[in-house]
Amino acid sequence: MHQFWSFDPKYINLNHGAFGAPPTPVQRASNVLSDQIEESPDRFFRIDWYPMLDSVRERLAKFIGARKEEVVLVQNATVAASVVLRNFEWRDGDILVGMSTTYRGVFKNIEHVRDTNPHITLSDFHLGFPITNAEIVKSFREHIRAIPRPAATSANPDPKIVCVLDSIVSNPGILLPWKEMVKICQEEGIYSVVDAAHSIGQEMDLNLEEAQPDFWFSNCHKWLYAKRSCAVLYVPKRNQHIVKTGFPTSHQYSSPGQPLPADWIKKTETNGDEWAVPFSWPGTVDTTPYLSVNAAMDFREWVGGEAVINEYCQNLAREGGKRLAEILGTRVMDESATFEQTLNMTNVELPLRDVPADKIEFANNVLRDRLLLEHKIYAAHFYHNGRFWTRPSAQIYNELSDFEKMGAAFVKVCKEIEATLKQDA
Amino acid sequence: MLLIRSTAPKSTDIDPATITANIDTSERDGFSYDPSSPPPAFGHDMLKYFGFDKEYVNVNHGSYGSLPLPVLAECNKLTLLAEANPDKWHRVTYMPLLVKAREEVATLIHAEHDEVVIVVNTTHGINAIMRNIEWREGDVILNTTVTYGAVARTAQYMADRSEAPRPKVYTVELTFPMTHAEIVAAFRAKIKEIKKNHPNTVFDILPTDTKLEGKGNRIVAIIDSISSNPGMYQPWKEMVKVCEEEGVWSLIDAAHSIGQELNIDLGATQPDFWVSNCHKWLFAKRGCAVVYVPKRNQHIIRSTMPTSHEYPSVESVRETSDTKFVLQHQWTGTMDFIPFLSVIAALKFRKWLGGEDVINGYTHKLAYEGGKHLASIFGTEVMDPSGEATLSMTNVRLPLPVEGTGPDARPIYTKAVQAQIARFLQQRFFETWNTHPGVYVHSGAVWARISVQVWTELADFEYVGKAMISICKEIEEEILANATEENEINEEKASEETVDSEKATGCWIA
Repeated sequence: MHQFWSFDPKYINLNHGAFGAPPTPVQRASNVLSDQIEESPDRFFRIDWYPMLDSVRERLAKFIGARKEEVVLVQNATVAASVVLRNFEWRDGDILVGMSTTYRGVFKNIEHVRDTNPHITLSDFHLGFPITNAEIVKSFREHIRAIPRPAATSANPDPKIVCVLDSIVSNPGILLPWKEMVKICQEEGIYSVVDAAHSIGQEMDLNLEEAQPDFWFSNCHKWLYAKRSCAVLYVPKRNQHIVKTGFPTSHQYSSPGQPLPADWIKKTETNGDEWAVPFSWPGTVDTTPYLSVNAAMDFREWVGGEAVINEYCQNLAREGGKRLAEILGTRVMDESATFEQTLNMTNVELPLRDVPADKIEFANNVLRDRLLLEHKIYAAHFYHNGRFWTRPSAQIYNELSDFEKMGAAFVKVCKEIEATLKQDA
Repeated sequence: MLLIRSTAPKSTDIDPATITANIDTSERDGFSYDPSSPPPAFGHDMLKYFGFDKEYVNVNHGSYGSLPLPVLAECNKLTLLAEANPDKWHRVTYMPLLVKAREEVATLIHAEHDEVVIVVNTTHGINAIMRNIEWREGDVILNTTVTYGAVARTAQYMADRSEAPRPKVYTVELTFPMTHAEIVAAFRAKIKEIKKNHPNTVFDILPTDTKLEGKGNRIVAIIDSISSNPGMYQPWKEMVKVCEEEGVWSLIDAAHSIGQELNIDLGATQPDFWVSNCHKWLFAKRGCAVVYVPKRNQHIIRSTMPTSHEYPSVESVRETSDTKFVLQHQWTGTMDFIPFLSVIAALKFRKWLGGEDVINGYTHKLAYEGGKHLASIFGTEVMDPSGEATLSMTNVRLPLPVEGTGPDARPIYTKAVQAQIARFLQQRFFETWNTHPGVYVHSGAVWARISVQVWTELADFEYVGKAMISICKEIEEEILANATEENEINEEKASEETVDSEKATGCWIA
């Protein structure tokens, strides 16, 4: 399948989950579209763009079991997280729940919301892997139940608790029991903001109508093969009154009690689709990533469809993880018999022990430089819960031999790091 | 809210699979150039370096910009480099290129390198600044009736928070034609009026204030360096001086400036914030804008939008007084960095053309002369007869009726009529004449905004003249003649809606 990607032939990519990679047909479609835009930018941005965007929204909505009117496109998952969290009007007493495994960029948004609303409380739900899904659900329920409910005050008559949770964690690359966690949030009267950055194109049979998260977003440029960068943000109708503006606020922002100025004509048919209108124009941007979703999904259908793609990737992730653990003499993080936490990414412990806390960054930097620049093979690596781990991604352009080569490279580099640290000690 | 249906094709009529079927993507001649050979003369000979449809007469560069084919070629090469190894690109390669891009832009606008970052567009940059200001109840945002729509809506959003703290929006009425002196006077008068009307408020918070205990409020003025509708160069530097004198914050919407305005020297002018689109007049790829925040004000920019990995903690900022302005902006989530990096190739291409002075020497002169020529074709006038407000864009009144101003004057260009004109213009522009000047209503008349670029010639003005005479005749006969009934209906509606400001407002039709 390498013929459909434009990787350096000497480079083995086991890190698809980080930045994604568009297949060449998607790249080509984007270039052709780019040329079309340059033929007449006015024509494209004033007329063609809107129905093209709508066709993508329609297709993505169907794909995730949502309605088109509940789905908009934004630049990436971090933007989506920011849009959701900042649209809430935070009041003293409100509580924002994050997790120790929340993606760093998203967590920084949580931090900034707290910094600019200093009287809200942050609640941190700690997760240390390995841990089974049953244990996660149990301790999540306990944690949520234990949060003292803010009392209604005159300043905050309707206090809220908002919980940011991952469907698939980044480091480690673990599928969480997010649907059960969303249910717990529902039962407890808490807003669930699901960071599903890794989900679309990796997690099968998404049905948001059924799962009912309060907010959900996912990167199309990760596992769905779209061009960088494009994310889908789902806001069910019941919550759309909360999300009053995208980022940036632009021409079509609808101010309560103030009519839109006459200089903006609705470009789209707006039968019940009014909420999404302000998201259709975030100022002048390169629109080809958003529109590349169609070419990406076409390609995936041609290759065999979601089930075929993900069955291959999942099997390879499981086998590859096992093989890698053998070579490294370590273990796979997801020890469950059913691989309940493993989709297309697997997490394997690295043979790197006794690294002092102040050398963790050093170790990660050496891993990055040696693997990426010298060995020309790469998978994400990180320190979690007292150990170093690697998180290889399995894609349809990978094979088991990639994992074996990865193992050989890690063995070498980890030995080198341990030797260096011993010397310095 | 009046829902105006457009005649945009339904999604079922546009098939993404076939819409690009007739586009020839074989590499055209203009994708490369020999930097050691002189460029062709400005005018139609330059068209080979741009990707326009051969039939399209582009007189609206100011709206979305267009990048030269050699810049696009360089972008495509960078894309392939990124895709060869996405991890290497994002973890190792792109950063030094971004630093270089920032430095080149900073040099061009005479700012320090670490006072300049790159974001996706001006709307984004202005939004980020506005969101970072910790508004207090009683704060004032001051804009004008020609403030760009998206920016005006952003200001409104700030004021729309359902409870305190939130600022209030005030607007300076600008009705063109107006001289620079008149604009500055109106701006100063409005500030004084705001202060006078709020005798119990002390507007004493300056951008440099880091300790706000005991302080009152702030006035933040959003100032266009070059307004959009009409497309006119504003006396923004004088307005910055007024801000300094009056203790008012100056946030410059300079979307149109870089690559069009000469001799930008932010080190000298010292606005509080300045944001400009590189993909408009600087030939960069969409979307790319530069945000300038002088060091003294960087403490205000607490976070990028969105917040990302390098956001410093409250403790860190307290200790170091450093909000890590440049570092935060290096990564705000995965995105395509290529547009940001395209400024390097864009500046190289512009250098080959002769540099900023040569390019703008041509475009400014042609905008001024072309505008006057077009006005004589129409039998009307240019909005800026003196030329003090004309850079590469000119505004010419179309041969359509002008609304009266007396007490019995009836509005001609109501919302409904504007919507009809807009739909009609789009049809005629794209399907009949293959040209799209900017058209808008201002001060009871309808105006065309023509953008001049290195490919423009006087013949383009003549073509637009021919097209608009024909189109305006049709507008008069088919839309305005039938509009009287609608006027009556709208007059009833007018009492329910706020339409007063629309007479002076630049309303972007097409």
